[in-house]
Amino acid sequence: MRSKAIMAAALTVAAALALGACSSPAADSGDDKEIVLWHMEGTPNRVAAFEAMADKYNETDPEYTVTVQVQDWDQVYSKIAAAAQSGKQPDILFAIPDFATYVRGIGLGQPVTDVVDALDEEYGLIDAAKAPYLDEDDYWAVPLYGMVQMLWYRADMLAAAGIEPPQTWSELRAAAEALTTDGTSGIALPAGKNLATDQVLYSLMITGGAADFFTEDGEVNLDTPETVAAFDLYKELLKFSPTDSASYAWGEPQAAFNSGAAAMSIEKGQYLAPFAEESGQDPSQLGCAPIPVADQGGEPGSIYYSNGAMVLSDDEAKEAAAGEFLSWLIEPENYGDFLNAEPGLFLPVTTDGANLEQWRSNETVSTYATCVDAMLEQSASGELFGFVDGQYIDSIGEISGQNFLAQAIQQMYVNGMSAEEAAAWAQEQMQMAIS
Amino acid sequence: MTTVATARQTRKRGAKGRGLAAVPRIVSMVVLTVLVLGPLYWVTISAFKGREEIIRSVPTFWPETFTLSNFEQLFTSTEYPVFLTNSLIVGVATTIVTVVISLAAAYGLYRLKVPGSGKIAGIVLLSYMIPGTLLIVPLYRTLSGLGLIDSYAGLVLVNVAFTAPFCTWLLRGFILAVPRDIDEAAAIDGAGPTRTMLQIVLPLLVPGIATVSVYAFVFSWTEFVFASQFIVSDSLQTLPIGLSAIIGQYTVNWGLVMAGTLFTLLPTVVLFIFVGRYFVGGLIAGATK
Repeated sequence: MRSKAIMAAALTVAAALALGACSSPAADSGDDKEIVLWHMEGTPNRVAAFEAMADKYNETDPEYTVTVQVQDWDQVYSKIAAAAQSGKQPDILFAIPDFATYVRGIGLGQPVTDVVDALDEEYGLIDAAKAPYLDEDDYWAVPLYGMVQMLWYRADMLAAAGIEPPQTWSELRAAAEALTTDGTSGIALPAGKNLATDQVLYSLMITGGAADFFTEDGEVNLDTPETVAAFDLYKELLKFSPTDSASYAWGEPQAAFNSGAAAMSIEKGQYLAPFAEESGQDPSQLGCAPIPVADQGGEPGSIYYSNGAMVLSDDEAKEAAAGEFLSWLIEPENYGDFLNAEPGLFLPVTTDGANLEQWRSNETVSTYATCVDAMLEQSASGELFGFVDGQYIDSIGEISGQNFLAQAIQQMYVNGMSAEEAAAWAQEQMQMAIS
Repeated sequence: MTTVATARQTRKRGAKGRGLAAVPRIVSMVVLTVLVLGPLYWVTISAFKGREEIIRSVPTFWPETFTLSNFEQLFTSTEYPVFLTNSLIVGVATTIVTVVISLAAAYGLYRLKVPGSGKIAGIVLLSYMIPGTLLIVPLYRTLSGLGLIDSYAGLVLVNVAFTAPFCTWLLRGFILAVPRDIDEAAAIDGAGPTRTMLQIVLPLLVPGIATVSVYAFVFSWTEFVFASQFIVSDSLQTLPIGLSAIIGQYTVNWGLVMAGTLFTLLPTVVLFIFVGRYFVGGLIAGATK
């Protein structure tokens, strides 16, 4: 009797859940007075900050309210394509330059030149942030925040070894070797097939004079002595990186660095916020320096990601409303809070933004002010593959999406290719991908 | 006396021989246990460590500073409870619909004399072998046309499309194991096909139903690709998507990830504790009959 009662109760609960599944309304209401925004910043603090910004904007009683929806970077390529085919795309889509070319390639995206020009005139947008979105005399995304890489080092470990922060490739290699001891790696580098590896390698390619690997005709020109030198350096440095580097992306080198298992790393400003808590060290022990440059023919620089927002809606009123919201985000009274969604990682794209009190007074930004200033300075010489010196390679998404640079690293690290062979291999793969 | 001593020696040698023979079995069991439970143990203890301890280069095998902060953060600063509820709703709905459909299909294909049932059964199983990722765009268009994008119902429908074919095949062994004489006896007593199925055969298929229920629930619980494509709103996201977002790009809060993983594992572990024996037995029965 009792078992029958339990069975009945279980069936009732199950039926209620199943009915709930069938009766749940679609969340995308299609409200005409709503702007749907997709972003890919899924970590809890960023989600909360972006939602807070949307709420704050909606409190100003705009004609169109903003609804924020979080997507996953790994899935958004196929998701936006499927959504586009069904006419279900969002009105605003956060993007990086190579993703923007992909989105345009599937027939989405409206020019936002008026918005960008107005923001540029009022607040001064830095070139590295806006240039990657310029094509055919129009801007295709409104730059919102930048990210740049630095050489991070454990000041305590370098001081103990009597080593100065490296400024050149040879110094970097020597430092990595000297800092490698039993149980400690000189440097932690990613070597997985992922964007993290692409990015670190590209920073070294920039400082080795190999930033531009396309011809004027848009053909791949990767197999050059400069690229080979950068590949060779990476291969050398991996000897002083933890042995499981082949599975590393973003999180693992940072964990190795903060735990003291590695003395140096090359990454963006996400290293600031968790350093003291995870390492147990004083914040002063987190050192930062520009990416070391090649001993000969090198130039300062780093990969620079301009994160922007594309307007996808082709409804004129919604287009205008989307532009208004994006401009509102950049306004000085809002922009600091927006950047504080990930303090230290999100850098201002306006020249005025660097002095915003809201941003500067953030605990992470103020604690690591020296490194923040160094990143802002590094931003000025930032580059991104496919967009160097005014380039706009339509098919760059095919290359970045398949992580050919990272694959080349794996060819060296896992399969034992030489730098020359890996560069030739990557050149061939990239050319095939865009042909 | 000599005979007794000889017998003792023989028994000792036999016991020693059996003991030695058991060594490879015990070693392989220990190795397998460590391989299977090791990561689970690591996730569990890491969830109770602080951020500094969790990434320490010399790992601790037991938390030095036992903390619940990761769980607190998981439930207060993320939408984890929402993801959990969504996964439960989708999982239970997928399970119920899968059981109903696959049971009806299996009964029709393997019990009733339906013309061409053998070929139909083959085609049903074939559909299970199509990689789901190839179907994302057409499925998206179909669901969009039905107004089911970004809804529980759409996700349940897709999940069932992938669980029902395998579950139908899985039930084959159980249905074939029920003697047909029972049907004939029921018919003599005046029971129609529906009554025979529901009141006579169905109670004998409980282990099979438990097996497909577990399979369908676990499939839905761990399903990532379709949930990531067909659910857009944060309020409808399921656990795998929510966990993926917690891992995030550029930064990883390992404690949060471990706590989230632990809570994601729990329901399936509990499910297997209660009905795992049916599942294993059911898979063997389905595969061999």
